[in-house]
Amino acid sequence: MTFNAYGVRVGVRVSVRSALERVLERLPPGWKPARSAVVSRLYSLIAGGDGPRRGVRRLSLLYADAVRLARSRDVGEVLDAFETDLQLYVAEASPRRLFVHAGVVGWRGRAIIMPGRTFTGKTSLVAALVKAGATYYSDEYAVLDARGRVHPYARPLGIRERGALEKAKRYPVEAFGGRPGVRPLPVGLVIVSEYKAGARWRPRQLSAGKGALAVLAHTVSARRQPEVALRTLQQFISRTPVLKGVRGEVEQVVDFVVKTLGDR
Amino acid sequence: MPDTNGRRLPHARRDGLLVQAIDDEVVVYDTERHKAHCLNRTAAFVWEHCDGQTTVADVARRLARELEAPIDQTAVWLAVEQLGKAHLLTEAPRHAAGLSRRELLKRLGVAAAVALPLVTTIRTPVAAQGASCLGEGAPCDPANDLCCPGFGCQAGPNICVED
Repeated sequence: MTFNAYGVRVGVRVSVRSALERVLERLPPGWKPARSAVVSRLYSLIAGGDGPRRGVRRLSLLYADAVRLARSRDVGEVLDAFETDLQLYVAEASPRRLFVHAGVVGWRGRAIIMPGRTFTGKTSLVAALVKAGATYYSDEYAVLDARGRVHPYARPLGIRERGALEKAKRYPVEAFGGRPGVRPLPVGLVIVSEYKAGARWRPRQLSAGKGALAVLAHTVSARRQPEVALRTLQQFISRTPVLKGVRGEVEQVVDFVVKTLGDR
Repeated sequence: MPDTNGRRLPHARRDGLLVQAIDDEVVVYDTERHKAHCLNRTAAFVWEHCDGQTTVADVARRLARELEAPIDQTAVWLAVEQLGKAHLLTEAPRHAAGLSRRELLKRLGVAAAVALPLVTTIRTPVAAQGASCLGEGAPCDPANDLCCPGFGCQAGPNICVED
């Protein structure tokens, strides 16, 4: 099969038809089937399973073009690798959108972007804001268009309940009493925070230029398309407060947002 | 301190740079080193005048007038030093400010703080840093290590293992 996601055309082929359904669950939000067979990347998934003899299992394999990405007895692990590589490839190669590694929620018609690397507590913050009434946009990427508006990338939230070493489990936003956003939103606030046990949330506002740097530091295609990144950031950074600081529990930031931007 | 009145500013580097003015600051992206710099108003003003002709004394005078702050040549040299370190000049500065930003702040007073030059730099991420990571035992690619902190992609079995 071939599909389009954010202007990137990708192909996937599988060794057994039944694997295709599991592949479809892992495609980026908003993907659409493509008519053309010409793709910029082709994934090949060879599903393992029972071998020719009892007690022998074949390995599952994943290739991106000619490069082997994963090899495991557990096809779920191979699909995890597929999902990670695919979303990163689309984020970096997209010609129409700028992908910033960030959690995003909608609040009173504006987007709150929370850039951060893995384990900085993005998803916890997103989930807490959703519980407080925010609309869910993403726990992975802020997807910005040329006008600086944020589009939904609303895949199920990945929560690690027992710490960093556990694999994230996915929950639909409805499990947190929230709903996904559908319309693109202008950016209203950027929060650059990192979790530190016992810390108090006392953010400082960055200048527009330093704010641009703070967002650029999490922009997936910053190296590949720096001019697009700068142009897109310029669309909103001058009129958007960028707050930076360490935080303790997520409630501090939620209270701050409610006080600063008003209740839902 | 040697007389630096007649000294000229070096040439600003223009090749391999993308420049974007944002309010009164300037963001510069270095496509060769994959670093982004934010030049505050003073640093941007000095960089703009780095043409190999304008003298340090002249820029100090103009800056003091423009910012209405007690800027002197030391502040200009400090800007040149920072611009040099950020590889935004075609040649290394031959003269040093002789004072750090903190020392200069002490000398000029808190009122001059906003007028002091500042170049802030970040290294932009490689795309792989923009992805959520793979946990222990997950298949991975050693050439593009996406394993979680504390784990590394072990070549051979190609799985994330504890470092």
